[in-house]
Amino acid sequence: MIYLDHAAATPVIPKARQAMEDYFSEQFFNPSSPYLPAKHVRDNYEFAKNTIAHTIGAKGVDIIITAGATESINLAFTAVLSAVRKKTVVAWQNGINNAEKVLKMPNMTEILILSTEHASVRAVAQHYATEVGAKLIEVNVDKNGLIDLKDFQNKLSSRTVFVSVSLANNELGTIQPLAEIAEIIRKERERRLKDVLDARGSAGHIKDSARDVKNNAGNTRPLPLIFHSDASQALNLIDISVARLGVDLLTINSAKIGGPKGVGALYVSHEVELRPVIYGGGQELGLRSGTENVPGVIGFAAAAEEAKSHVMGNRKKYQKYVEILKSELLKCKLEPVFLGNPKHQLANFCPVSFPGIDAERIIYLLEEKQVYLSTGAACSANKGTVSRVLKAIKLTDAEISGSLRISLGMLNTEENVREAGKLIVEAVEKEILRCRK
Amino acid sequence: MSEVASRNLKVSEVESEVASRNLKVSEVELGKNKPTVFVGMSGGVDSSVSAVLLKEQGYNVVGVYMKNWSEDLPGMKCPWAEDLADAKRVAVKLGIDFLVFDFQQEYKNKVVDYMLTEFKKGNTPNPDIMCNQEIKFKLFYDIAREKGADYIATGHYARVNRDKSELLRAVDENKDQTYFLYRISNEAIAHTIFPVGEMLKADVKKYAAERGLDNAYKKESMGVCFVGEVGMKDFLKRYVEANPGEIFDIDTGEKVGVHEGAIFYTIGQRKGLGLGGGLPYYVVKKDIKKNIVYVSKNLNNQNLWTRELKLKDVLLRGAILKMPRSTLSETEKNNASATAPTMKVMVRLRHRAPLIPATLTIDNLGDTDTSSVETKIDNLGGLDTSDIRASVKFDEEVKAPAVGQSVVFYDGEVCLGGGIIDA
Repeated sequence: MIYLDHAAATPVIPKARQAMEDYFSEQFFNPSSPYLPAKHVRDNYEFAKNTIAHTIGAKGVDIIITAGATESINLAFTAVLSAVRKKTVVAWQNGINNAEKVLKMPNMTEILILSTEHASVRAVAQHYATEVGAKLIEVNVDKNGLIDLKDFQNKLSSRTVFVSVSLANNELGTIQPLAEIAEIIRKERERRLKDVLDARGSAGHIKDSARDVKNNAGNTRPLPLIFHSDASQALNLIDISVARLGVDLLTINSAKIGGPKGVGALYVSHEVELRPVIYGGGQELGLRSGTENVPGVIGFAAAAEEAKSHVMGNRKKYQKYVEILKSELLKCKLEPVFLGNPKHQLANFCPVSFPGIDAERIIYLLEEKQVYLSTGAACSANKGTVSRVLKAIKLTDAEISGSLRISLGMLNTEENVREAGKLIVEAVEKEILRCRK
Repeated sequence: MSEVASRNLKVSEVESEVASRNLKVSEVELGKNKPTVFVGMSGGVDSSVSAVLLKEQGYNVVGVYMKNWSEDLPGMKCPWAEDLADAKRVAVKLGIDFLVFDFQQEYKNKVVDYMLTEFKKGNTPNPDIMCNQEIKFKLFYDIAREKGADYIATGHYARVNRDKSELLRAVDENKDQTYFLYRISNEAIAHTIFPVGEMLKADVKKYAAERGLDNAYKKESMGVCFVGEVGMKDFLKRYVEANPGEIFDIDTGEKVGVHEGAIFYTIGQRKGLGLGGGLPYYVVKKDIKKNIVYVSKNLNNQNLWTRELKLKDVLLRGAILKMPRSTLSETEKNNASATAPTMKVMVRLRHRAPLIPATLTIDNLGDTDTSSVETKIDNLGGLDTSDIRASVKFDEEVKAPAVGQSVVFYDGEVCLGGGIIDA
């Protein structure tokens, strides 16, 4: 088998599996139970949480363990709700006092996401936008999938309450300049604070409320502006530090870095007010009830630690593999188009298009040779939806049709990558022949 | 790099070549002497094996997935995405072209809406029969022919006598699907291949396994495709307002329970009544107007059995012409016209039900031109016989199928047509 889809799933690394082993049948105690063995489990659980947090430059208390990235994102977006409560205050101060009406009032607030965000961000954003009557706005990307910062600056308004931009895109591997985005956000926050101070004025009374609501002029507190990033794809290739990235919320995921599936975490900065998605016994600071997934978290910690310690090595290794792969793919009679800019791309990504080819057929041809990869094109298995990412970077229909998502990782070697390249070329050329016939 | 580039084809060249491929399939005719067959591929074992067989028989095969209407709602599995992927996977393995025909709108109009309308009337329609008549052997057939197909093929268990345009029962009696196919047109029949119709299901499975089509033989679709696994009643509830009513025991006259709407129940139904304890109840009668369901513990209740069924929308296949006919005897006439022809046939009341002997009387009640039935039979062709009525009489009582179901006639292995049970 040659596996080229590490962005979809990774095998659990031996270290993680070994670390988890004890916690299934021996150290099975409920961390909330009062006796000593249970306390040991709790200690180990907290220790593992700390380990996970440390890999992103945070403390254990800053992260909420969830059942994976999707749940983390769902939890992150609940911040919109508290922002909207403040929206009610804004409206009230502007003479609108029917809370129901305010909640349904459209476009009082805005949510910004990147046009290339994964469905797990998009769908949640859409849900909360509808729920609170916020407007969902998409920020454009360039042909490499990189955020258009000017567009972002233009679309970020005084009504924006939530911004979500993935650290690395799941189809192209494009790495977004989160720190630069965070800086723009910081300036907007500062501006809002100043506005509030101005509004209070020297006499300390609220200025003429006829002033545009947009400016939050009548508000005594600024509208919150929260920055979330989904970093599921990146932990083993980018040295992540929440402080450096300037995010308020960060989603991370165990399943993409050699940990078990069904475990994720959300980093939450102190300023952000969340609401639970799942209610119950009050675990995880009341934000994520349910008996702790002890083995999952132990495995996640082991995988995260391993990933973190090999960031530099991984990057170099995968860069080399991608080079080898590209040189093989270039031998194809049909010239491949490599997507994205390697300068701003996760080192293990090699998204490529053979224009005009039906990529899904390539997948099925290669699966017979035990080579497994994904397609970014309309794929039957994903209900025939054409990738929004590929549309967002303005590929032609032929390019979208022929696009393959290749993501290398722990199961690759120089040899199997070279072999895969040859087999991909063989499959593409076979398809060209079929079409010619 | 320049060296590599020079060896490469011009992208635009291949692009246009491949792109045009996706739009029209006239190129398939390039394989000249070989007849072209468009095979409907559902992703299941029968149609997958059909495609393989056709390929091996030397046809120029094009796989087609017909995307029928389905709803993607939370809690309901979207049935088509996986099926489409499975079908395409098989096509790719065979190295054949593969197309997707989007029939969602037509399917919704002709099959789903028909079904809902019939259910609302209190009938029990058969959407599979309608799907074959309107979609697979009309729309698919027409488009395939338009795109250059000499034949269409499906994975149904049935056979065709091409010289006579006759629809024949499958070799595997247990799987025979002619019950679902009796309404398809003569023209379609003359241009249809049923590659697995000559095989036993067990052999089809074996054949699939031998050729590594294991993804195909794992699952077998059951029931109506768009209803999926939720079951007809749950499906209907999404489209038809529940209208609770009362259940009466027809024998005692007692009220024995409540129901969610008479239209959700079918005559003969035993399960799902929510009436616990003792002997099971059977639905024996529905009063749609009053929204009352009548049940009985007596399996011999007369409502459950019948000696005669009245049929409407009768469709007669050409083979019926050669059936020995006689006109009704004086005592049999009743309200039928004097010229109504009768014949001895075998009938099937449900898919996979045993064939039973019956006397078929082609009638034309409601048609003022009473002498025309004979002529109509003799002039079969267009098959626009929606005003033909018939009745089937049985030598012994049979368990009565629900109104809206079909009765299909046979002479030996030949399907003679059928009709829809009228109230």
